[in-house]
This record gives sequence, structure tokens and C-alpha cells, in this order.
Amino acid sequence: MKRTNSLLENLDPRSKIISFLAIIFCMILTPITRLKDFGLYFLVILVMAFISRIPPRQLLKRVCVLIPFILFIAMFVPFVKQGHMCWSVKIYNWELGVTYEGIWTFLNIVIKSSLSVLLLVIASSTTTFSDFLKGLDLLRIPQLMIMITSFMYRYIFVLFDEAKRLMRARSIRYFGSRYKEQFRVIGYMIGVLFIRTYERAERIYNAMIVRGFNGKAISINHLRFSYMDFLFIAGIFISLIFIISGLIYKIEHVKINDTHLWHGL
Amino acid sequence: MARIIKVLNLNYRYPDGTTGLNNVSFEVEEGETLVIIGANGTGKSTLFMNLMGVLDGDGHIEIMGLTLNKLNLKNIRREMGMVFQNPDDQLFCPTVMDDVSFGPLNLGWGKNEVIKASQKALALVDMEGYESRTSHHLSFGEKKRTAIATVLSMNPKILLLDEPTSGLDPRSTSKFINILYTLKSQGKTLLIVTHDIFLAQEIADRVLVFSEGKQPVAIGNYKEILNNTDLLLKNNLVHQHRHRHEEVVHEHEHEHKHGYSHKH
Repeated sequence: MKRTNSLLENLDPRSKIISFLAIIFCMILTPITRLKDFGLYFLVILVMAFISRIPPRQLLKRVCVLIPFILFIAMFVPFVKQGHMCWSVKIYNWELGVTYEGIWTFLNIVIKSSLSVLLLVIASSTTTFSDFLKGLDLLRIPQLMIMITSFMYRYIFVLFDEAKRLMRARSIRYFGSRYKEQFRVIGYMIGVLFIRTYERAERIYNAMIVRGFNGKAISINHLRFSYMDFLFIAGIFISLIFIISGLIYKIEHVKINDTHLWHGL
Repeated sequence: MARIIKVLNLNYRYPDGTTGLNNVSFEVEEGETLVIIGANGTGKSTLFMNLMGVLDGDGHIEIMGLTLNKLNLKNIRREMGMVFQNPDDQLFCPTVMDDVSFGPLNLGWGKNEVIKASQKALALVDMEGYESRTSHHLSFGEKKRTAIATVLSMNPKILLLDEPTSGLDPRSTSKFINILYTLKSQGKTLLIVTHDIFLAQEIADRVLVFSEGKQPVAIGNYKEILNNTDLLLKNNLVHQHRHRHEEVVHEHEHEHKHGYSHKH
């Protein structure tokens, strides 16, 4: 994605990881029945999207790629969850029903996942992958996990290319029919892909050890935690406290000189 | 010139029993460019892996006066860098800068020193401005040049290059050869494995020929070796041309000399 040089983009990845995880954590712990709270979470995320300067169209496009997966997972829940019947229809001897508990669970999955996806898109649009990994490293996430993620990112496309070449080699020599045999052929291809990947891993390891690798991956740290990062984290945490504690609703009833705060404003 | 590499009676067998190297002995002098040529599967890359201590063969290897063993391995790898044949194996970090700084950081250099060395190495291979680029988005030629920068950033005295020009288009090849010339002029000792006779002709001081028996059969001045057509033919390094002009069929050795045109 094109760099926007926004405030969010210039923040240290650590502050983004901490803040975004805090938001996700709070969202997960908030009961779905407090729907108003999710509106406020959405508002916080919208503010972040605004300061990230990501074009709304682009943001929506990226979110919409992932939403169908969430819907696919959640769509059966209202029908299978046991509970109080909300609506039902009889098809011959079979009764298809939707329960209230099912609807709440459906909303729980869809709302929380969609908001998390929105956050993920903002995070990935404002942080390069290498910075994200460096941030994780500085947050003391186990190195093995970071290295595996880094290798996955680096070699997933190499692996796809390798698989594509194998598929192409098969397709130019396959003229249809003998369908049962194709399962065996695909099995061979998966085997070959595994062996090639294994051999590549060995070569990569050799390339690492000849450059002095001894089990610990070190990288140049150019990240700086500035006062903006502190302000950002503080802002997010204060917002979360207001939402979780319900303080934000109490403000509505605060009176100064017998007048509602909002009237005074 | 002082001797910088000495290999004596080196033998290597792969775990499945296949012979990798068969009684290999040779010496390299400091600042020299030795091009090792041989057909496919003659053990050239296996030799490099043995020199770097990745594979453990039988025999004696001495690098910069240090015998290659577990004790000296770290010191030897500080002074000798290897560029692998496939740059995708060498570039495993998310960005170019991460890859180029990987070696110096592992050597325990300070941050500023690492950045300086990495930028110098990238400048040498004409890859300035690519620091934050992702390795898998580079072209093959750029990957090759970055791969050499990953080793140059460690400022090694000896460089082992495995098939450096394979897969490169002519312009990239000539760019690469220019880099090799620069390194040569800096006094680096270069060991280059290739079956590209043109490259050997361009850059070699001496040429070592590997036979299909996985052992060296000749070593000497590049002119002397590359003009020995019988030797090259016997070791599958050149082929015989056979072509037809109307009704006449010609057969002659394939000459690898610039400006050569055969006579009929």
C-alpha cells in the first residue's frame, strides 16, 4: 500500500501493537449485549482510520475481502445454537429454527471479528512487515516465533511459484480422464513440494551459518519510542477505561450548577 | 604473494555413499582469482561447502594459516564469505537492509559500523536506495547483486562465488563482471565456481578444472588451460560443432574466444 506519512504510520510499531491488542482484548471481554459499547469501539477505530489517512475506499475494499469469511463461519450459528426459539419453519418433517441465543452468538462473532479486521487492516496499512516484526522482537515475543513468521512472509510466494510450476508441468501432460489416478499424482506433487521445501530450508540454514548465525537473529533497531507514542497509548487506554467502566454514559448525567454538562457546553 | 588457501587430499562422501569429492588438492595465493570450472555434478559446489565448513570432508584445509576445524571455524568465516548459487537461498530477511546487515550484526559490530558497512556494500553493487525493499520483489539480477552485498558488508578477504552469472542476462552479467573487477582491484581473493568459459576468460588469473571423476585434473594460467581444447573437450566443458553448409557437413571444436569466427 502507498505510504501516507500519517501520524499513525510514523508511530513506533510497539505502540500500535500494544494499543491495538488492548482494544481487541477489551472488545473480546465486552458482552455482546452491551451493543452501545461496540458503537464506541467503532468510533475509536474510525478516529484511528481517519488519522491514518487511508483512503476510505481502500480501507473498505480490504475489509470486504475478509468479511465474507467471517460471515461464512457465523452464518450457521443462529440455526444450530440451542435456546429459545425466535422463528421457525417446517419443511416436511424437518424443522428449521432460529434461536435468540443463536442470533446473539452470531452478532458476537460478526461484530467483534469485523471490528478486529478493521483494526488489522489499519495496522497493516500503516506498518511495514519488517517494522512489525521488529516491534514484536522488542516486545520480547519469542524469537523462534518471529523467525518463523519472517520466513513465512519471505518464502510463501517462492513456495507458491514452486507449486505453480509443478501444476503447470502436470497440466501440459494431462489430457483429461483417469480421474482416480490424479489423486495419486497430486499426492506425488505435494511430496515433491515438501522435499524441495526441506532442501531449500537446508540451503537457507547453510547461508545463515556461513554469515555467523548462532541461533539468535539480530537486526538493526531504528525504532524510537517518542512522546507521541506515549500520548497515543495513553489516549487509547483512557478511551478504553471510559468505555469499559461505563463512565462515558455517566458523563451524560453530570450536573454543574444544576445544569447538565452537555447543556453547559 | 602469500598462500591463503591450502587444500590437501580432501575427500567427501554424501550420506547416501555418493562420492562428492575425490582427493582434491590445490593452493590459492592471496589476491588471486581462481576460477574453478567443471561440468555439472563434478563437485565444485561441494568443494565450497567444505571450504566454508558446512560439509565435513576428510583431508586438510588451511585458510589464512588456520586449519579448518570447529575451533577455528568462526574466525575463518569472519574472513571468508560465500555467495550461493540461488540468491533466494541467501536473501532470507524481510528487507534488503536486514539481509545485508545480518552478517556484520552476527559478527558483533556496533550499529553505526554495521549501517556504514552495509551502505558501502550496497553502493559497491549499485543497489543504493533499495535498503527498505523486500527481497522477493527484486529482479533476479538485483537479487544476485544484493546476495553479493550480504557478504561484502562483512568485508571478507576471501570470496567464494558459486555460479555467479548463471541465469543473468548479458547486461546483468557484464554489470556483475564489473563488480568482480572492482573486488579484484581491492585485493580480494576470489574463488569462482562456474561452467561459463567466458567468465573464466574475463576474470581468471588461474583456472582449476574439475573432472567428472570429482577431482581436479588441471590447474594453471587461464590462457594455458582455456586454450587446451582437448582438456576442455574431455571434461565436458566445450562441445564439438557439427553443422551443414548446403551439402557439406563441418565438424570442429567450439572456440570460446572473443572475435573468433571459424573458417570453412
